Amino acid sequence: MTKIALRINGQSKEIDIDPQMPLLWSIRDFVGLTGTKFGCGIAQCGACTVHMDGVPVRSCVIPTSAAADKEITTIEGLSENNDHPVQLAWIKAQVPQCGYCQSGQIMSAAALLKTNPNPTDEEIDSAMNNVLCRCGTYPRIRKAIKEASKL
Amino acid sequence: MISRRKFIQVTSAASAYLIVGCMSDAQGNKNVSTGLTDDPTKIDLNQFISIGKDGSITLFNHRPEMGQGTYQSIPMILAEELEVSIDEVEIKQSAANREIYGSQMVVGSRSIQTEFEKLRMMGATARELLKQAASKRWKVDVNNCKAVNGTVVAPSGDILKYGELVEDAGKLQVSQDPKLKVPSEFKVIGTPVARRDIPFKTNGEAKFGIDLSVPGMLHASIERSPVFLGSVKSFNKEEVLKVNGVRHVLQTSREVFGQTREGVAVLADTYWQAMQGRKMLKVEWDTKGLEAVSDATIRKDSFEEAAKRDGDELFGKGDVKQAFKNNKNIIEASYVTPYQAHVPMEPMNAIVSIMDGNAEFWGSTQNPNGVRSFLAKKYNLSEEAVKVNYTFMGGGFGRRSMTDVVEEAADLSKQAGAPVKVIWTREDDQTQGPFRACSVNICKATLDNSGKVDALEHKVIAQEIQNQSGDNMTAGRQLMGGINTDFLIPNLSVKGILKKRHIPISYWRAVYHSTNPFAHECFIDELAIAAKKDPLQFRLDMLDHPRYVSVLEAVAEKTDWRSGKKAGIGRGLAAVERSGAYFAMVVEVTKRDGKVVPTKITTAIDLGICINPDTVKAQTEGSIVMGLGAAYYGLTIENGAVVEQNFHTYPLLKISQCPEIETYILESTAPPDGAGEAGLPTVAPALANAIFDLTGKRIRQLPIQMDKVV
Repeated sequence: MTKIALRINGQSKEIDIDPQMPLLWSIRDFVGLTGTKFGCGIAQCGACTVHMDGVPVRSCVIPTSAAADKEITTIEGLSENNDHPVQLAWIKAQVPQCGYCQSGQIMSAAALLKTNPNPTDEEIDSAMNNVLCRCGTYPRIRKAIKEASKL
Repeated sequence: MISRRKFIQVTSAASAYLIVGCMSDAQGNKNVSTGLTDDPTKIDLNQFISIGKDGSITLFNHRPEMGQGTYQSIPMILAEELEVSIDEVEIKQSAANREIYGSQMVVGSRSIQTEFEKLRMMGATARELLKQAASKRWKVDVNNCKAVNGTVVAPSGDILKYGELVEDAGKLQVSQDPKLKVPSEFKVIGTPVARRDIPFKTNGEAKFGIDLSVPGMLHASIERSPVFLGSVKSFNKEEVLKVNGVRHVLQTSREVFGQTREGVAVLADTYWQAMQGRKMLKVEWDTKGLEAVSDATIRKDSFEEAAKRDGDELFGKGDVKQAFKNNKNIIEASYVTPYQAHVPMEPMNAIVSIMDGNAEFWGSTQNPNGVRSFLAKKYNLSEEAVKVNYTFMGGGFGRRSMTDVVEEAADLSKQAGAPVKVIWTREDDQTQGPFRACSVNICKATLDNSGKVDALEHKVIAQEIQNQSGDNMTAGRQLMGGINTDFLIPNLSVKGILKKRHIPISYWRAVYHSTNPFAHECFIDELAIAAKKDPLQFRLDMLDHPRYVSVLEAVAEKTDWRSGKKAGIGRGLAAVERSGAYFAMVVEVTKRDGKVVPTKITTAIDLGICINPDTVKAQTEGSIVMGLGAAYYGLTIENGAVVEQNFHTYPLLKISQCPEIETYILESTAPPDGAGEAGLPTVAPALANAIFDLTGKRIRQLPIQMDKVV
């Protein structure tokens, strides 16, 4: 066990863990933020996507030790009042069905728009292609990202 | 039959709530209850509507939410008759209790169709009570009072808010059945109301079963035999117990439709530690020779069985045998479908505590009453001693109607003497089942001189969900799901040949409607081609069912079908009824970089009265995405086990593979049918028919290897 200092959503938190434990489980089971989801454990589905120093990463395969001293943003820290343009667009387009994958979808979309504020259809598909949704909300995700790019 | 009851439980005048509920008695009669209480949390009657003296209006949703949208559409129905704005009510989830809420299971797209009348009756009862209370106060004829947006309006124009009428209304007895609105009067039903659960599904606030924890709980990860039905011979308990945080290494089991499946569980302080322990675990399994089973053996014995047995007739008219004797020009084709996993994005999980003569469950389930009954029966408890706390589900698709994971968590809790949270890995989900059944469909037909179908026989060779163990080898009607017997074919026979296998199966979105129509609607297409007829006209010529005809005509019009083929585009058609909803689909495909891809899917649905058109569209989009995934990918059985372990080998459909989707909902005043699955059955056949139209290549096996279709 090792003490690791994490910076999550602007707050510091020290946790005593196996440093090899993926960041996902530190966030969920030790920091207590459950918006970041477990989907596959092998970086194939994107449900666990968080921002590390502003870049979207798959927290299920990143050892917690590799996240020390980095700025981590989870879905809970994306906006103060659920009013990030992506969140607003998600509500307007009525994207979620079950909702489980949507934290990963929203964090991926927010990262896309930060680097590419006006993505084409192809760029949306390419950036979002490995964030899986079993409910099939893809048509609405496309629509919502277009909408968010205007906000 | 509706009867009425009244209760009054008011001890203080400080607050008062008008409560309306509805319970069915043993004879199936619905008993609407109304009354007053000063504490709605304490009443033991069910409640669907609560109107406070303070003007607050709460509508209760008694069905779990897995993405299907009844969280919003059930309160919409109540609000419609109650005459309140859906935006101004609070929505609350009901407790799990079969005795007072009736079935709360969400399966088969049934929630709206089975609850519609009851919900309207309760809304209307409350509205009429409030009107009566107002008319008495004003001393005017109740028939001249109107309920408008949470108020009652007098002929004079005077207005009383519902909250002001609560106490009077609660003491009244409604003597006759309240008049229900006619569809032309609907203001809420039929409008695309924004779903209230969506905002907290965009900020991480929504809680799913996997997000819960309870004090003192241990986390479990369970190793199960890769070869189906393998039993535990031995395992290295002592070694695993040395892993940091591991508290117990325990044998456990779960039953799936009559067959017991064993596993070895590692229980630890955290889930990560449990997984580390599981990595160290070495289990020796007795696989009983079952490693010889593969897709090849399954297919071979399916066809052998069909050669040996004629099968059980599930539907018959005319004389197919005689027709095939009279006309030797028989067209025959066989279709094969694979096992599919449900793959809800939230991996299967459950928290159970079995302690001190009580049981408690926390988690996501399609069947909260079933969980309660299961735990009561298994641990010899009264239902009152079992508490079920259900959350949002991260997808269900039929998988969460089962109690097998609850059984594992309960067994481990009992053994360990602590609450236990079991989380399945994605690999567990994809390799252990229960799955959608694989199937072989054998279709035979003859055409008459005019090119119409004279005789058609459809044989389904598959496992049956409700008959997986025991000696009964008679096929049940479940096996014929999705086969259109409304076609006006003089000699028509559907037969089932039941196969029992040790690979577990269960309900998967649309169930047999997700496999049989691939065969049936492709075969109809093959017959149309053989008859040199347009596949649309060929179907219409065999149908006088108005709802089938209207959905087919709608997609034909929207896709300009009758204008003929467009260069470089293949078109495929299919129509299937599921859960009472009639559904037609046209898939258009084209070649892109040498590969065939679907570009546009146009659908028409007649589901009777549509509660929330935006939800129906979302369900249709979702069904299509899931249906396309199941057309492209499937599970493979080799050496008695599933080959595909995780998303890298068993992918879900990705956003870049999702074609444009257009959905048209037909206007109707008929009672509502189910929309949660209706869009799925047509996907594979319409796609395969489109591929044939473009390439001349006939697909008769799923999954379709799209890379190889040229």
